[in-house]
This record gives sequence, structure tokens and C-alpha cells, in this order.
Amino acid sequence: MKTNYEGAGMEITDLITPECVVPNLRVGSKKQVLQELAKVAAEVTGQSERAVFDVLLERERLGTTGVGNGIAIPHGKLSTLPGLKGIFARLEEPVDFDSIDDQPVDLIFLLLAPESAGADHLKALARVSRLLRDRGICEKLRGTSDPEALYTLLSQAQTSQAA
Amino acid sequence: MIESLFPVILVGAGLVVISILTSLISFRVGAPLLLVFLLIGLLAGEDGLGQIPFDDGHTAYFIGSIALAVILFDSGFGTRLRSFKVAAWPSLTLASLGVALTAALLAPFAHLFLDLSWLESFLLGAIVGSTDAAAVFFLLRVGGINIRDRVRATLEVESGSNDPMAIFLTVTLVDLVRAGGLGEGITPVMLLQAFGLQMGLGLVAGLLGGWVMLQGARHLALEAVLHPLVLTGLALCLFAAVSMGGGSGFLAVYVAGLVVGNGAHPNRTTIRRFQEGLTWLAQITMFLTLGLLATPSQFPALAVSSAVVAIVLIFFARPLAVWICLLPFGFNRDETAFVAWVGLRGAVSILLAILPALAELDASRTLFNAAFIIVLFSLVIQGWTIRPMAKWLGLVVPPELGPVSKVELDLPHGGTHELVVYRVTEGSPVAEGERIPRWARPSLVIRAGRSLKGPEAGRPRVGDHVYIFHAPTYGPLLDRLFAKTTALSAEDRAYFGDFALNGGQPMAALTTSYGIETPKDAEEKSIAEWMGGQLGAAATRGDRVPLGGVDLIVRAVSDNVEGKIIEVGLSLDPEGERKEPRVVGPMRRFLAGPRTWIRRAPS
Repeated sequence: MKTNYEGAGMEITDLITPECVVPNLRVGSKKQVLQELAKVAAEVTGQSERAVFDVLLERERLGTTGVGNGIAIPHGKLSTLPGLKGIFARLEEPVDFDSIDDQPVDLIFLLLAPESAGADHLKALARVSRLLRDRGICEKLRGTSDPEALYTLLSQAQTSQAA
Repeated sequence: MIESLFPVILVGAGLVVISILTSLISFRVGAPLLLVFLLIGLLAGEDGLGQIPFDDGHTAYFIGSIALAVILFDSGFGTRLRSFKVAAWPSLTLASLGVALTAALLAPFAHLFLDLSWLESFLLGAIVGSTDAAAVFFLLRVGGINIRDRVRATLEVESGSNDPMAIFLTVTLVDLVRAGGLGEGITPVMLLQAFGLQMGLGLVAGLLGGWVMLQGARHLALEAVLHPLVLTGLALCLFAAVSMGGGSGFLAVYVAGLVVGNGAHPNRTTIRRFQEGLTWLAQITMFLTLGLLATPSQFPALAVSSAVVAIVLIFFARPLAVWICLLPFGFNRDETAFVAWVGLRGAVSILLAILPALAELDASRTLFNAAFIIVLFSLVIQGWTIRPMAKWLGLVVPPELGPVSKVELDLPHGGTHELVVYRVTEGSPVAEGERIPRWARPSLVIRAGRSLKGPEAGRPRVGDHVYIFHAPTYGPLLDRLFAKTTALSAEDRAYFGDFALNGGQPMAALTTSYGIETPKDAEEKSIAEWMGGQLGAAATRGDRVPLGGVDLIVRAVSDNVEGKIIEVGLSLDPEGERKEPRVVGPMRRFLAGPRTWIRRAPS
């Protein structure tokens, strides 16, 4: 489990591509969020939808991935996945996610990692978490439903953050 | 004859008043308050504006000893047994071995720079060997910083319990200097016996005395206001009696305070308030007296060399002694650094510096002045920087609750309930419509000057004063309802880790989820159990346990079961977090410090 990236070198663009952005997801519950995102992830990665959903659900049992301020970062590991994969979704209506601050969630970054990712998995998660801790970026992400604009925001955010 | 009393009273009382008023300014500039008292004493003294000629070492030592006994009794009284348990071994090691080591490490430098004999150099080391309970307590508590429990407890217990050791060493070394070294008069065996007697008698008499005081507080049918007076009287009796019997009176009052302060008795609140006021008075009196006693015009001759010794003490002797003492207790580097930094010297050192003069040693002037300068240095350098240092080292636990406005009232005749009065503040869960649980229904609500019975009042409104009877164990739950909620800042979230975990989940599930190797002793355990085992002492909020590249952080512990971990934070990239906000954020704040200090109004 050798680290391929230096900590600061992990980029958001290494995790998501434009087709991994869902600008207006319409869901009513936490479970539905995970189901819908599992569906998207299955399409993008070619994995079984059921397997993705199960692994996400299993992680939620350990403790919520709703990190507060309307953000959730569900994640999990899949043995057959070739590489790290992220999905970003913006919810039309916020849903209850059992978040640590009890606030409903409307921005979601899903991260899937191969079984062998080891330290990279942790680094990528930390990267995403740090990115979405920035309230300015979150406000901008909430302010647009244009998929390209969202993707640009996510990929630019890292450069402005690194500065 | 009698007329001459009045000027003394006028000056004494006037100085106390001036000191207290000056504290307002001190809060604004963030200066250690005790430094201010000391400076006022210096200013009023023979070389200052006041030109009060006071050079009576005996009187100063007499006043200082009584004041120190009162302060140490209160230190014990205010130390929760819980803190004591968390930190007993590390702090007692620091208080005994640490003092001796500091003194020994400092001695060569005192010998080199201050033109003192070897024995006198060790004597100086012993004089400035202990940390000052008053200074440390004041800065950690009143300073309003929420430091990791174990670190705070270690510092508090150390500062409360190391004076007896420093006093013993100083008295012994004064005798040795006077006798010209070890010889027929003083043998090592005698020293060991004296040490055993001092500490043994102090400890036993303290436990017994504390028990007697506790019984008195419980069973004596006195006017409520007389209880604290009786306690203080008993504490001073204990101090004097134990000292007369060859024991350490200071240790005895500290231990007695610990016993009384942790026992349940009906007049707790009255006693605590009285103690607080009395301790303030004792501190002010002590620092003023010692300031008055000094002769600053003699300082310049020793200033540079004493400053060098002070710097050696702060940056070398204390840190090395602390590092050695804490080695067996698994403190991490930052924690050790902070304990070393909060080695404030204070009134006790100056008080002890009087002893050589009382024993008429040749070097007594040098010793007193050097000790005084070292204390001034320590108060300025360390006292002024504790808060930024704690931030810098990442030891400040972000507050769980916002300010809560409440008053606790004693109930006569004991009883198992407490009466508290909360003011409903804006933004608190109660004001936002959260229901008050059945076991804490308000008995009385005062709204805009009108008294309403609980049921009449309906929903609490902002500005109400709510009177609640409740069982003491539920206190923290109520605080939560009435406190303003605090939003964790991005930096605080970094402190508590990216994700939350349920303490009850199995460790194995956690380690498989993140591809971390499961520690051998963790296979069958829940996250909470494993962390509890790793932490040893009762877990407190903010405690960290490293696990294969990530950190687990205690986010919440049970309100009812001591040390039971409920929620755990997971920091995925502790190294990275440490590199980023911890250095940049605190540094910026440190630089912005003076500005905010000036703007900050006294609380």
C-alpha cells in the first residue's frame, strides 16, 4: 500500500470528471440519497449498484458521514474498483442526514475507493473534507445548478485553496 | 502611639483597593494580574512613588505564610478529585522529583553567573524551584482557556502540591549553608528522616484534619455565614499545629482542602464564595507585601546575570526536568512542552527568598534580589504567553457550550436536590422551543419582574429567570439546554476530526472500512472500549489516540457515567491538519493579539 500522492498533491480533479456532477438531485430521505448516488456511481464505474449501496450503508452504521453545515461525505471501499472515484451532488431540497449538527444536508460528495487504496483513500477523503469545510466554496456551490459551473468551482477551488 | 496605627491601615487598605481597581486594566491588556500586584507593591515601596520604608523580613514572612496557607487550602478545595485521579502520578512526580531536578539543573548556572558558592547556588535553585499555585490557577481558570483535561489537571495539581517540596529543600539548604555543609550537625540520614517526617506528617494530618473539618461542615448547626470562618480557622490551626510538630503545614492544608472540597456538605456554595474572596485577598496581600519588601534600587547590579539565570530556568532547567519527569506517563511532545512552559514562578519563590535573610546568611541580599528578578521574568515571559502557547500547541479544546447564565443556591438542611436559577439566553435550545424535561420542571419563573408559578409561565422566553430543583447529576444536561449553542469553526472541526463515529461500534468495522491494520488488543472491542483502554485514565473530550496514520478523538463522553466515550471523531490526515491551520491560524491570532486585548472589555 504505497502512497502515490504526496498529501498536498491530491487533487479533486483526480477524483471526479464532469459527468460525475449531479446538479439537481431530487430525493426525500437519506436512504434515497444513497440509493440514487449508488445508481450514478454504478453507471460511471460499471460496478453493481447494490454493492455500492451496501458499502455506503455499512459505513453509515459506523457513524454518520454528515459532517455539518449541510455537507455529507458518504464513502466506502469496493474490491473490484480500479481507482478512486468521486461523485458530487447538489440536492434540490435539503434532507435529514443525521448530521452531527442536526442540520439537513444539501451538498454531497461521494467517494469510492478500491480495496487496495490504503493511505490514498484517507488522503482523498481528507482533501474532500477540507475543501468542503470552506464556507465560501459551499455558498458558491449552492448558488448554481449548472453542471459545468459546478465542476469548474470544484476543480478551481483546489488552486485557490493551495495558494 | 495609637495614632500611628491609622496611617498604616490607610496605606494598607488603600493599596488593596488600588490593586483591585488596577485589575480592570490588567484584564484589558492581558497582563498577568499577579504581576500587576507585585508592581504596585514595588511602586509603593521605598524606591517607588509611595516611598514606604518596609524592610521587615519577619513580618513579611509571617504575612506571606498565612496567605500561602489560605491559598493552598483553597487550591485543594477547588481541585476536583477527578482531576486529581487523572493527573496524580505525573503531577506528584513533577512536584517532588521535578522540583529537585529543576533546582539541581539551575545551580551550575547560578554558580557561574551570580558569584554564589555551590551550596548557595543550589539554594537559589530550590527557592525558585516550585511553580506558583496562585499564578497557574489564575491563568488557567480565569484566563478562560479550555485546555485538555489531563494537561490542565497535571499543572494544577503540580502547582498546588510542589510548594512543600520547595520549602523543605530551601529550609534544608539554608541550614546547610549556615552549618557550612554536611557534617556532624547535619547528616544525610537526618535529612531523609526530616523529609519523611515533613511529608508523612503533613499528609496524614491533612487527611485527618480534612475529615474533621468535613464532619464539622456537615453536622455543626451554625449560622451559614459562620461555616466558612470556622473552616478557615481550622485550616490555619492545622497549618500551625502540623508545622509545630515538624511536619509540612502547607502540605497538610492542601490535603485537608482536597478532602473538604470533594466531600458533600450543605454549605458548599457559601463556603466556596467566601474562599474565593479570601484567596483573592491573600494573594493581593502577599504580592503587595513582597513587592514592598524588595528594594528595586539594588536590582540593576544583578539584573543581567539574574536575567540569564531566569532564561536558563525557563528554556532549559524546567523543560528538561519536566521532560524527564513525564517520560513514563506517555505525554506527547506538545503536552510536555506546554507543561514545561507553564512553570510560572511566583510569590512562593519570593517568600522563600526571605528565609536566607532571616537566617542571616552572607549571600541573602543576592539571593533575594536574584529570586525576585527571576520571578518577574517568569511572570512576564510565561504569564503573558500562556494562551497563545496553548493555541499554538493545539491543546485548547474548542468549547462545547456557549456561555450559560446561572446561579446555584444552597439548600438548608442538605437534601438531595439543588436549586439553580438560569437566565434564558437568546439562541439557547430552550429559547428556541426545546422542552424542559419532566424531572426539571421550573418551580418559579420570573418574567419582567413578575413571579409566575412554573405551569402558569408556559414556554420560557428570552430574559426569563427560571428556578429549577434538580438532582445534581443532571446539571450538565440542563446546562446544555440553557447554554447558547456554539457553532464549531472550521478549525474546531479540524480539531475534532472529519467524521463522527459511534463509540459503541466494533473496532474491526472501523479498521476494515479504512484499510487500517487492527491492533492486536482491539479485535473484540468496541471503539469506545479500545480508546478507553489506550487512554488509561478516564477519557475526556478532546483526548486523542493515534491509530495507523489516523487519529481518533473523543468528541463526547457520557454525562452520567464518568469517562464513558459516546462519540468519537476521526481525523484522517492529522499530520496535514497540524501543518495547516495549527500554525497559520494561531500565528495570525498571536500577532493580532495586542489589538484584540486592547479592544476586549473586562468580563
